[in-house]
Amino acid sequence: MSLQGVEAERSAAGLSGATASAGWVFRFVLLGLGAAALALPFAYAISTVLKPAAEALSVPIHWLPSRFLWANFLLPFQQTNYGRYFFNSFLVGVSVVILNLITCPLAGYSFCKLRYPGRDLLFLVVLATLMIPLEVIYVPLYDLVFKLGWTNTYWGLIIPAGTSAFGIFLMRQTTMAIPDELLDAARMDGASEWRIYIRIVLPLLRPALAVLAIFIFMNNWDSLLWPLLVAGKDNYWTLPVGLAAMQNNNEVNFSLLMAAALEASVPTLVVYFLLQRYFVAGIALAAGLQG
Amino acid sequence: MMPSRRSPVEREGRAGRGLSAPWSPLRLRGHQERALVGVLMALPALAFFAAFAIYPILRVFYLSLFEYNLTSPERWIGLGNFAYLFADPTFKAAVVNTAVYVVGTYLPTIVLALLIAIGLNHRSHVAGVLRTIYFVPVAMTWVVVTIMWHLIYNRFGLLDQLLHLHTNWLTDGTWAPLALIIMSVWKEVGFFVIIFLAGLQSIRHDIYEAAAVDGAGPLRIQLHVTLPLLRPVLAVATIFAVIRGMQAFTPQYVLTDGGPGDATQVINLLVYKTAFVYAEMGRASAIAVLMFGALLVMTLLQLRIFRARSA
Amino acid sequence: MFDSDPRALIEDSLARCVPRRAILKQLVAMGLALPAASALLDACSGQAAGGSSAKVTISLWTHTHPPMIQLMKTLIKEYEARHEGVTIDYQQIPNNEFGPKMLTALSSGSGPDVINMDDVSLRGDYIPKGLVVPVDPKALGYESVEALTSRYIPGAFVGATGGDGKIYGVPLEYDAAAFGFHFDQFQEAGLDPSSPPRTWGDVATMGRQLVQYQGGTMVRQGFDFLYLHSGWYTDFIELLLHQTGGHILNSQRTASVIAQSRSVQALTIWNDLINKYHVGDPHVSSTDATVPYSDFYTGKLSMTVLIGPWAQAQMQQTYAGQYRQVKMAAVPQVDPSRPASRCYGYFMAVNKASKVQEEAWKFIAYVTSQHDRWLSDVLFVQPIKGWQNTAAARKIDFIDVWAESYATAKFDEVGPHWSEIEDTLKSSIQDTVFNGVPPETSFTRAQSEIDRILKG
Repeated sequence: MSLQGVEAERSAAGLSGATASAGWVFRFVLLGLGAAALALPFAYAISTVLKPAAEALSVPIHWLPSRFLWANFLLPFQQTNYGRYFFNSFLVGVSVVILNLITCPLAGYSFCKLRYPGRDLLFLVVLATLMIPLEVIYVPLYDLVFKLGWTNTYWGLIIPAGTSAFGIFLMRQTTMAIPDELLDAARMDGASEWRIYIRIVLPLLRPALAVLAIFIFMNNWDSLLWPLLVAGKDNYWTLPVGLAAMQNNNEVNFSLLMAAALEASVPTLVVYFLLQRYFVAGIALAAGLQG
Repeated sequence: MMPSRRSPVEREGRAGRGLSAPWSPLRLRGHQERALVGVLMALPALAFFAAFAIYPILRVFYLSLFEYNLTSPERWIGLGNFAYLFADPTFKAAVVNTAVYVVGTYLPTIVLALLIAIGLNHRSHVAGVLRTIYFVPVAMTWVVVTIMWHLIYNRFGLLDQLLHLHTNWLTDGTWAPLALIIMSVWKEVGFFVIIFLAGLQSIRHDIYEAAAVDGAGPLRIQLHVTLPLLRPVLAVATIFAVIRGMQAFTPQYVLTDGGPGDATQVINLLVYKTAFVYAEMGRASAIAVLMFGALLVMTLLQLRIFRARSA
Repeated sequence: MFDSDPRALIEDSLARCVPRRAILKQLVAMGLALPAASALLDACSGQAAGGSSAKVTISLWTHTHPPMIQLMKTLIKEYEARHEGVTIDYQQIPNNEFGPKMLTALSSGSGPDVINMDDVSLRGDYIPKGLVVPVDPKALGYESVEALTSRYIPGAFVGATGGDGKIYGVPLEYDAAAFGFHFDQFQEAGLDPSSPPRTWGDVATMGRQLVQYQGGTMVRQGFDFLYLHSGWYTDFIELLLHQTGGHILNSQRTASVIAQSRSVQALTIWNDLINKYHVGDPHVSSTDATVPYSDFYTGKLSMTVLIGPWAQAQMQQTYAGQYRQVKMAAVPQVDPSRPASRCYGYFMAVNKASKVQEEAWKFIAYVTSQHDRWLSDVLFVQPIKGWQNTAAARKIDFIDVWAESYATAKFDEVGPHWSEIEDTLKSSIQDTVFNGVPPETSFTRAQSEIDRILKG
């Protein structure tokens, strides 16, 4: 619904094609240099994967491998339980995203548009939890998860992440942009509150839901400590735990490690590129940018 | 103008004045129903929250007043943990290093991101490709980024081969904090570019046209039109920056383990070590409580500053 | 402010929602199906080992050392084949995360039935906190605890003895230190490989001849210790402390004495080698815990202290070419007339929360009875009496050097809050060796830090 809108807004900065000039060339050369500097570490990582082991960290540097060992990209899958770590990260990530897509917009909408006693206090409490470092609640959390019998299960990895303060905050901010008049009109038409939520609110929140999905997915993909604590068996390890183990493993080589690191980034990169437009629109919503 | 708010509404360009009709009896019943539905809607999230956030956090606050090593029963020591921390040079180092890391990383990140976003805010294929490159590190996780940079900072790694400085990036107390900052700027700049681009794209075209008609040059337009309009986005960006910076963990954990000495010891790493390596849960909780207080104060301050300025 | 008709908008939304709902349903169904599918996957991947008699699953966690893992897996298969109904669930933990993960798991009453733990953690944390149980001699196949200990060399169980005098584990590996050097590099540098350094002074003089630079960078170190996690820093400073007669704590373990001259002397030796004689450069040392001795294995480091025989085996297995160019000798001394060294051990112990303690000890009995295989496959010494004269031992290179090193070795000191003290030691050593702080200053600071830690 809103993509054309985004596109229409794209050509901001008040400069039409006619004014494209030396200034623009200069600007893009600068930006291009910046991008090149940014891309260099990737080039280095990729070349490290493809090099024979002896050429990694060699002096002087081998910018290009003497032989291109494309098969090195398969090393993590051949020498470690990498496929399983990937599967676990996916399973946990997708499940957590689904849970959050259910719980966060519901709560955000409720905190924003529906009045009841204690509502604002509840929202403040949710917000305040954003300020607690996660690492420290892991001990009481681990206690709890253990008592629930969820260590070494996917439940232990998924359920505690079932909602997020950030998600609720994001959803509440976004919901603010939905005019009350719209909801009131629907009520006048006799729509129930649930129907309004599902048929009107959720579709309008779609770009913000994309942001939420990306954030939650990324966070999960990045989470190292919690899966390490909960998943004792490597059947339940996620990618970060697997990567940490590879870095520790005595037989590691840099080709394998870099291949694993690069491959671990593929899903998040894909997610980003697919949802990039929604993401920008969603951030604008979250920042409360009214025109 | 937000696309999702405007576009569906405006596309249905028909006129309708039904909103002004009187419907007060319906509203009364509606209020009660809405309150009930509101509670029900918040319930799933609140249930998760109560069990997996509020309960552990309350326990953290409680434990900050106890000595607790996970196995023996908790022992009440009042403010003993806080007294210990205030006399602890490692804690002091962690606080200072965290402040240095937050400012050192996010000040340049925000400035760079703003410049890049203004530069990229242009509809062309070149801008599209460049934008994509700038976003790539955002889509990578910290664990992956630190693994890559570990090799880059190696004494025989990319950076040394490029610059021939023979710098001991990760093992020299003066360079290690900078090494973490450089890596973090690389990782984080794209995230803020996204935020600023979103902000820039919400600025209406006609404002620039009006400024151009008034004879303002491009630099003045950016300074006097763009920046003031971006103030709410800047507010969000700094809040993000402070929270992300204060909670930094993976770079220090993976790359330097807080060393050499205490050169890269940061608060979150100290929390982790105190809790899980030293098994001093009470003291770890006390650090968390202090950090909570600091973050809360800073967030409120930031909100106030930005609100005051835009008022 | 709104000049559109909300009703039309609602209808529009409704119309657009219908197909999406179907997609959503599918998504939700997928979300529910995935955990089920993976549970199935799990069930298929070998948990369902069958047996007619009572089924027992014993879980075992160890750190990561590939040759050890390999033999452990073989022994597990054999044990499972001999004991119908018994399944061993074996898990390796990444080395950097090993300590925190084990301690958290056991402290909360979870964790595996069997752990393999180093003596310092065992004496510092696990035994005082009551997380492990004393050995069960009957299940281990002995009449009494004395019958068990009398099979081993004197002192072998010091590393697993609690404050109550009880013994809490059976040694899987027992390690003493030796000095390794590349003799081909000795010859190149005009040094005599048949007379390796006997004192740290010798190390300094010989090391300077072995060092090689390229540009401004030391590409070959003459001698260095390793710079990995805090445990490794402690290992090496303890080695030197054993030799200088210095200590970290007083004998009552109530205060630190690390600022005393004998203790400072230990750090001074380390510091002089690096910052005075420049025989090594810690900045170019491999600081990953990947292959601990990779610099030595690959010849980028001419001489080093190997803290256990396993390192020799690891080099032999992974760097066979370079291995042919190295020799082992006794560890250099502060005073060769009064040689001193350190040893450490990994002990297999049983979790107090385990519900299968007897079966766990029986499994430990099997694993720790395969002395010859641990020796020949992994070079783990299990210190039964006369181990160095067994046929398996006689086949091992430099076995006499290693055997002798045990004679002068003692277990490290340990005290309350030990992991925190280890981190303090690491910081102060780094301050001196990396950042140039004088040893006295570092250890004076460390002393007051440790005192504060002890007071809590």
